[in-house]
Amino acid sequence: MTWIGRALVLGLLAFVVFGPLANLALWAAAEQWYFPHKLPVSYGTKFWAQVFKPRGDALASLMTSIWIALSTVAACLALAIPAGYALARLKLPWRTAILLAFLVPQAFPSVAVYINVARIFYDLKLNGTMLGVILVHTVHGLVFAVWITAAAFAAVDRDLEAAARNLGASGLRSFLTVSLPLAAPGIMASAIFVFLESLDEFTGTFFVGVPDVITLPLLMFTASIAGNYQIAAITALVLLVPSVLFMLFIERFLKADVLSKIGA
Amino acid sequence: MQDRGRLGIALVAPALAAVLVLFVYPLGYSLATAFEAKGGGFTFGNFVKAFEFYSVDIGFTLVIIGLSTLLIALAAIAIGGYLVLGENPRAVALLRWLYRWPLFIPFVVAAQCMRSFLAKNGLMNNSFVALGILEIDQTTGFLDWRGIVITFVWKQTPFVALLVAGAMAALDRSTIEAARNLGAARLRVLVEILVPQVMPTLVVGLILSFVTMMSVLSVPLMISGESPTMMTVDMAFRINNYGDYGTANALGFISYLLTAGCAWVYLRRQVRQS
Amino acid sequence: MKRNPALLAALALSAAALATPAAAQTTLNVVTAGDQNMVDYVKDFLAPRFEKTNPKATVKAVGTGPGDAGSQKIAEKLQAQKGNAAWDVDVAVIHQKMAGDLVREGLLAPYVKDVATGKLVTSESSKNALGTNVAGYVIPMFQSQTAIAWNPALVKAPPKDYNELAAWAKANPRKFGYNGIKGGMSGVAFVVGWVYANTPDSERLMKGPYDASTKAKWDGALGKLKEFNRNVVITPGNAGTLDMLNRGEISMGPVWVDMFYTWMADGKLPPTMRLQLIGPGMPGQPMYYVIPAKAANMAAAKKFVEMATSPDVQAEGIVKKFNWYPGIDAQHVKAKLDDKTWNKLFVDVTPKDLAAKGKVFPIKPYFDDILESYERKVLN
Repeated sequence: MTWIGRALVLGLLAFVVFGPLANLALWAAAEQWYFPHKLPVSYGTKFWAQVFKPRGDALASLMTSIWIALSTVAACLALAIPAGYALARLKLPWRTAILLAFLVPQAFPSVAVYINVARIFYDLKLNGTMLGVILVHTVHGLVFAVWITAAAFAAVDRDLEAAARNLGASGLRSFLTVSLPLAAPGIMASAIFVFLESLDEFTGTFFVGVPDVITLPLLMFTASIAGNYQIAAITALVLLVPSVLFMLFIERFLKADVLSKIGA
Repeated sequence: MQDRGRLGIALVAPALAAVLVLFVYPLGYSLATAFEAKGGGFTFGNFVKAFEFYSVDIGFTLVIIGLSTLLIALAAIAIGGYLVLGENPRAVALLRWLYRWPLFIPFVVAAQCMRSFLAKNGLMNNSFVALGILEIDQTTGFLDWRGIVITFVWKQTPFVALLVAGAMAALDRSTIEAARNLGAARLRVLVEILVPQVMPTLVVGLILSFVTMMSVLSVPLMISGESPTMMTVDMAFRINNYGDYGTANALGFISYLLTAGCAWVYLRRQVRQS
Repeated sequence: MKRNPALLAALALSAAALATPAAAQTTLNVVTAGDQNMVDYVKDFLAPRFEKTNPKATVKAVGTGPGDAGSQKIAEKLQAQKGNAAWDVDVAVIHQKMAGDLVREGLLAPYVKDVATGKLVTSESSKNALGTNVAGYVIPMFQSQTAIAWNPALVKAPPKDYNELAAWAKANPRKFGYNGIKGGMSGVAFVVGWVYANTPDSERLMKGPYDASTKAKWDGALGKLKEFNRNVVITPGNAGTLDMLNRGEISMGPVWVDMFYTWMADGKLPPTMRLQLIGPGMPGQPMYYVIPAKAANMAAAKKFVEMATSPDVQAEGIVKKFNWYPGIDAQHVKAKLDDKTWNKLFVDVTPKDLAAKGKVFPIKPYFDDILESYERKVLN
């Protein structure tokens, strides 16, 4: 392939990848944009002021989203760290079956499941509550949390743990002082993953949270459906920032040896 | 040792319980309710109604997802192939940096991007008009089932490409070198040597993508106005407007069958080939 | 122990703070179905007014979304709390269909006799919601009307009725757009109008009595609608239609008159756009203020509705700011406005048009039949 061919293909790919994103950026900066203009008619920050006004919905939704995401991470880690350790280090009957069991939420189209979770929660008076939404996000994130944490613990050098034991440390002590700190980067990565999944989660919150719990993705959706493209674009950018930051930092936390142990 | 086994179970139990209670139980509830009549009792009526109302959408869901999966597979193989066989190091590095971006964009945001990008007078068409490829009244909006396909392919290709590229990179280069030395074109090497060896990874990636696409609600809701659209939109409509759990769960049951069916087809090909 | 003056002062201050009886702050929960403009109305217009005259109250506005789905969500909220002593919805704004259901289920309070503005409403729609008697339970917030918005730059002469529209759509494919029945009520109104135009006894659909066999006679009308749909664009919602009109992607589409004027005022629609109420008619609907039977703050809720339905607020808010037709009887509101503001509502859709071509939605069983038949015959 000549260099022209390469350039064309890469250029096309760049257009495909960045075009939609550039579109988002344009709408976020635009104040007026209508046919037949190809670019916004006027630019400005009027809508930024509207989105971030103190009594506004956007800030409230952002707080709701962050609070739910943090709670989800806490719940996921509380469940996944023991489970991950057990899967990595302890002799577990039906180990493969258990690993696969955590895959179940990823194996079934989840819209119908969420519909029914909402119905069950409705009877339990959990529908429309933060707790309900946190529970839904936790189950959704557990598969990543458990699999990545298990891989992180598996990557810890067994010799170090053995050394701690030889020096007389109990199982719990060795776990807290050796395994956990060494697995921390991998656990950190799974925490960030769960955080992002929760922040961006739409379908579950659509059924379980609406209309009382409005997260940022739901706010964005409402703004988009109502034709408020500027507000939708700005909220979308706010949602994007954590994801892109994660992408740039993932190299640091998720080392190759951890990645290779996923699913082992 | 038995003690450690019990300890292991105890440590895993809470997480497992969470999945069982919050996913498997509602899943079973969904399957059961699909067959439940309005006043109780067993019936196929919900399925009859689902087909009467939504047979077009059920068909289109298959078309949308099938087409998306095919395009994702082709794109992922192409990207993975170039990353392994590409000879220009700058182009390879650029590709490696470029293709990953959509992976970190959430589906809702991708849907919002595409909603204005693919519109009749959206950025894509305006760019084509600016470049002289199209006339202004020739532009068409893609905000229908084709927009759904485009969004899915855009979002899922990096994921599958990541898996495939990883698998290809882990392969023994000696077969590749041998084939190249014998004068085989790179495309031939890709198709006849690389792809068969990474098939298992490719299939896993495609099945995961299939399930993901069947689970996404935001994309069809935001991109496609009405029929034909995906079943997930109809499920949401039945619930939100009518509280009609019977039909919605019947549609859910059908979506499980579709997913299981396709997974079975893929996996059978795998078993057959190995 | 040495006396620490700073610590003493801090303790004294906190003791004083705790001793002051905290002002009892009530939160009034107002839940509204409908598009974003409804939520904006409560939050930006009604709430500050109410909080000014009732300093101990804060108004919390929640929107549940457009169309029947929004009203359904409110109904579900009330049904879920049926057993509780006090419910978390104080005032709700809902569509006609759901109002009928909720009255029948006994979930609403007959508050109209307790508010002063109850006497100012005598319209038919305040007593009858699609065939169900709701007198005493509802006060209309506004009356709205759908019409076809058309762009004079792209359309020379708008069609006068549904048949002309169908012919125009065939001659100008994909230049007409509406949002089907899933995206919002303007599309639903269009479909209902189509059925009225293409079936013989539309009066019966609006007044009853219900006959289950009637829907079999709609096959012809629905077949024509399916054919029509091939030539049009389905937009993603009430706002979607307006948005596509704005960007010239379609030249005509059904819209709510109030949304049309509000978008125009916000600069989201060119000021040259026009409206046409096509024959034999297009439906409109009121949305109702209702108070749930066990609202936690019943007294405050009644005060809120009384304020919202007072002639001043109806004139300033409903008509002037948000371009709706008033919910209470027109003469009370017209008296509070200058002629220019009053007449702006009637520029393209005159009172004569409204009287002749402004229809109501069908009674509930027929309404359900129309929607179901659309899904069965037109979409499938």
